[in-house]
Formats: sequence, structure tokens, C-alpha cells
Amino acid sequence: MRRIVLTLIAVALASMPATALAQSEDGTVTVVHGVPDLSVDVYVNDTLTLAAFEFGTVTDPLTLPAGDYDIDIRAAGADASDPAVLSETVTLPAGANATIEANLDGAGDPLISVWVNDISTIDAGNGRVTVRHTAAAPNVDVLANDGILFADVPNGAEGVADVAADTYNVKVTAAGDPSTVVLDTPLTIPEGTNVIVYAIGDLGAGSFMVAVQSIGGLHTAPSGVPSGTGGLAAAGLPMWLFSAMVLGAALVVGGGLVAARQRG
Amino acid sequence: MRTARLLITTGLLIAAAALVTWYAVKPDPVAGDPDRFITALTAPSAENPIAARPEDAPVAPATGSLGPSSVPSPTPSVPPFTISSATVTDARIPMRLRIPALGQDAPVVVAGVDEAGEMEVPSNVTDVAWYGFGPAPGQPGSSVLAAHVDLAGQGPGVFHRLGALEPGSLIFVDFADGTTGAYLAEARAIYDKDDLPTDALFSRDGPPVLTLITCGGGFNRSLRSYDSNIVVYAVPVGDEGVRGVLPA
Repeated sequence: MRRIVLTLIAVALASMPATALAQSEDGTVTVVHGVPDLSVDVYVNDTLTLAAFEFGTVTDPLTLPAGDYDIDIRAAGADASDPAVLSETVTLPAGANATIEANLDGAGDPLISVWVNDISTIDAGNGRVTVRHTAAAPNVDVLANDGILFADVPNGAEGVADVAADTYNVKVTAAGDPSTVVLDTPLTIPEGTNVIVYAIGDLGAGSFMVAVQSIGGLHTAPSGVPSGTGGLAAAGLPMWLFSAMVLGAALVVGGGLVAARQRG
Repeated sequence: MRTARLLITTGLLIAAAALVTWYAVKPDPVAGDPDRFITALTAPSAENPIAARPEDAPVAPATGSLGPSSVPSPTPSVPPFTISSATVTDARIPMRLRIPALGQDAPVVVAGVDEAGEMEVPSNVTDVAWYGFGPAPGQPGSSVLAAHVDLAGQGPGVFHRLGALEPGSLIFVDFADGTTGAYLAEARAIYDKDDLPTDALFSRDGPPVLTLITCGGGFNRSLRSYDSNIVVYAVPVGDEGVRGVLPA
């Protein structure tokens, strides 16, 4: 437990811009249910905050004051005084965007995982895809349009990449074995959005599936608007004014010459 | 001597008249109060786009045990989490842009970002580009329609005279669903390309603003590029809103 908390703080500090840490006393939390065949009640600081939470479900983000939170997970409908199935104390740093997930480890045992989501801004035209392996399954490769996006991802690990905003054909295969496809689905990565895909469930038991969380508003503006190469609208003196000035100057010079000749 | 004086006087008069005429008809690149739009479009959550956005903070229902009577907890209390299914808002895609004051009626195409990270603008002088990653016209934030002022070899573009579009002019956008939105030009600005306020021009928050962009200013013949952008800000009128949605 201590390790998770320290890791969360370290990752959050590393991934957050200093300004965001300074200006916000709150953090953002999303909860994901990735333990198959188990409907649960989620207690935060001994308060029931999420009842009958089903496998594969993702909550809306919730803005909470930074601080420590005691998470207790019980079977749905269990008495609040019953012993919890899973318990964890989670530290939410100020400005962090975190996801708390109940999921299976590689051996199929349930645990509570804490993820820090990458909410740094994204270049205009791009989106971000995050894949988190939280299923009871061997290492996997993740392919986008049949090209390797993340290779050899073990349970408990994630891959993050910024890609052009588009819809991709995403495949999850056994690591190094493109013929063993465990998931094949179109996935739309909207511009300026971090789409976080959780591989959840138990591959051996047939409950392997994905849950998807989206964090929008990470977009940035294009750097400019290139909209002319002709030069016809250039600021400066228009041709008719130029002509009139030349004509006027010619008359003045001509008059001067005439005057000079008459005088001479 | 009389001939010389006549020639010189006529020459000076022609030059003076030309200068006065030019000064009288030369379009002022700035009109209205463009800074008002920059302020309105940059104000919301400019520092951190996802911090404290209202939709990120669902209001806790009045149920549960977190009311005033609950025992104070040494650790922060939390409202219940909510789960909502994803809803797709069907953005109204603009199909045509009509500016009667400029005699323009042009098709609109959806545009994104080019390899240089700039907004894509069609490689012709007849189409208008809508920045499809941003809001549609009439939605909150700045909906950007850009077109060429001109193109080498193709001549003047749809927005050739955007720099002369006066505040008070009406602009119409025809949408894919068959409806038409009306917008009133309220301000015009010229920005050096190095100082283009892109965060405001492409803002996805704030009051609905229709933002027309083209090139202008000085022209660098070796780079074949203008040094500035001309921007016209317009606000929805009629069914989509009322005049003066921006703080005066």
C-alpha cells in the first residue's frame, strides 16, 4: 500500500506542470471496475459512494480536495460493517487526475490499482491513446491499423502515445504472436482527448473485455492560418495611386524643364 | 513661363488629389472592438483547459449521508460517483458561407491541421475551410472559417476583400441539416502572424463567435507569404442568439 501511494505521488509530481500544482487544491478521480463476476459497493472514507458498481463500468470524473482517501470495496448489498473485499488508502495530490481501478493481477487475484492520467496538452490535430493491461492475461501487443503501437505489455503496465485524431482498427494479441487475437475493434481517438482503454477480466475464463475512459479538453490551437500566396492584397500603395504619383511627378519635372529652357 | 507653371501646378494637384483619395478609401484594417472578443474567448479556463470545468464537477444529489448533520470526518468526505453513458452531440456541419456585402457565396469544407501544425486551408481560392476540431458556428467558443485572400496562379480568393468587411454586415452559414444561421460582423482586426492570438481564435469555450480568417498585411515576394492575418469577429443573431451576447 505504501508503495502505491508513494508511486502515485512521484508520478503525479513528475507529470504535472508546476503551474497546475500551484493553482489547484483539488484533484480529479475516476473509478473503473475491472473485476469480473462481482457487483460491488465502493466506500470512500466509510461513506457509500458507489452502489452496485458493475464489471466493465467507468464512472464520471469527480473533483475532490487533495488528500488521503480510504477506499473499501464490498460485495454489492453487503453491510457497511462487513469486512471489505479490498481496502486501500489512496493519496490524491493537488492537481492530479487519477483513476482508481479494481482489477485482476496477472494471476487472477483482485487488487486496487491507482493510475495517474496524462492530462498534458496535445498538439492540434492529435489525440492521445492510453492502454492499460489490467486483466488476468499474459503479456500483450497492441496494434493500431496492424502496426505495433505498444509491444509486450505486462499486467499492471500501460502504454501512452499521441496519435493523429482518427478512428483506428485496434487489435490486442498475445505478445509476439499476431495470430492470437484476443480483441479486434475500431477505436476513435478524438482530437484533444486522452482515450484510456483498460483491458479487464480474465482471458482464461472468457470474461476478457475493455472499459474505456475519455478525458477531453486537452486540445491546443493550430499555430497559424496560412491563407494567401498571391500577393494581390498586399498592404502598401495601390497601382492607381502609384500611377497618379508618377504622372504628377512627370508633370512637375516637365514644367521645371520648360521653365529652365525658357529662362536659358 | 505660364506653361511651366501650369504643368507644375497640375502635377502637384494630381499627386495631392491621389493621396487624399487613397487616404479616404484605404480600408482601415481595424474596426469595431476586436480586443473584446479576445478577452471573452480567453477568459474561461485559459490556464488549464481541464481544471475546474463545470461539467467535470457533477453536483452531488441531496441523498446520502453527507448532509449537514453528518459527523465531521477527519478526512475529506466525498460525494457519490455518477455514471453517465456517452452522448454524441451531432455538431451542425456548415456547408456554405454567404457574405452579401462581399458578393460571396462559397462552399465550406471541413479542415484540420497540416503537417506544420497550422490550420489546413484548401489549396484553391473557391472554398472556405471550417476548423472541424473546434465548435460549429453558433456553438460555444470560436468557430473558425478560413479562406485564401488569393493564391499564386489562381488569383483572388473568397476572402479577398475580408479586410473591407464592415461591422454591421450580415454573414450567413447554411448547415447540413438545411437550417441557416445569421451572424453580424462586429469587429475586424489585423494581427502579425508572429503574434496571432491562436488560443482565443481557436477557443472551444466562451460565447459563440463566428471567426473569419484570411491573410493580409505586407507580402514577402520571396517567401510568397503575407506577414499578417485579417480576422473578422461576428456574433449570432436571430434564432441562434441575440445581438450583444458579449459583454459590451
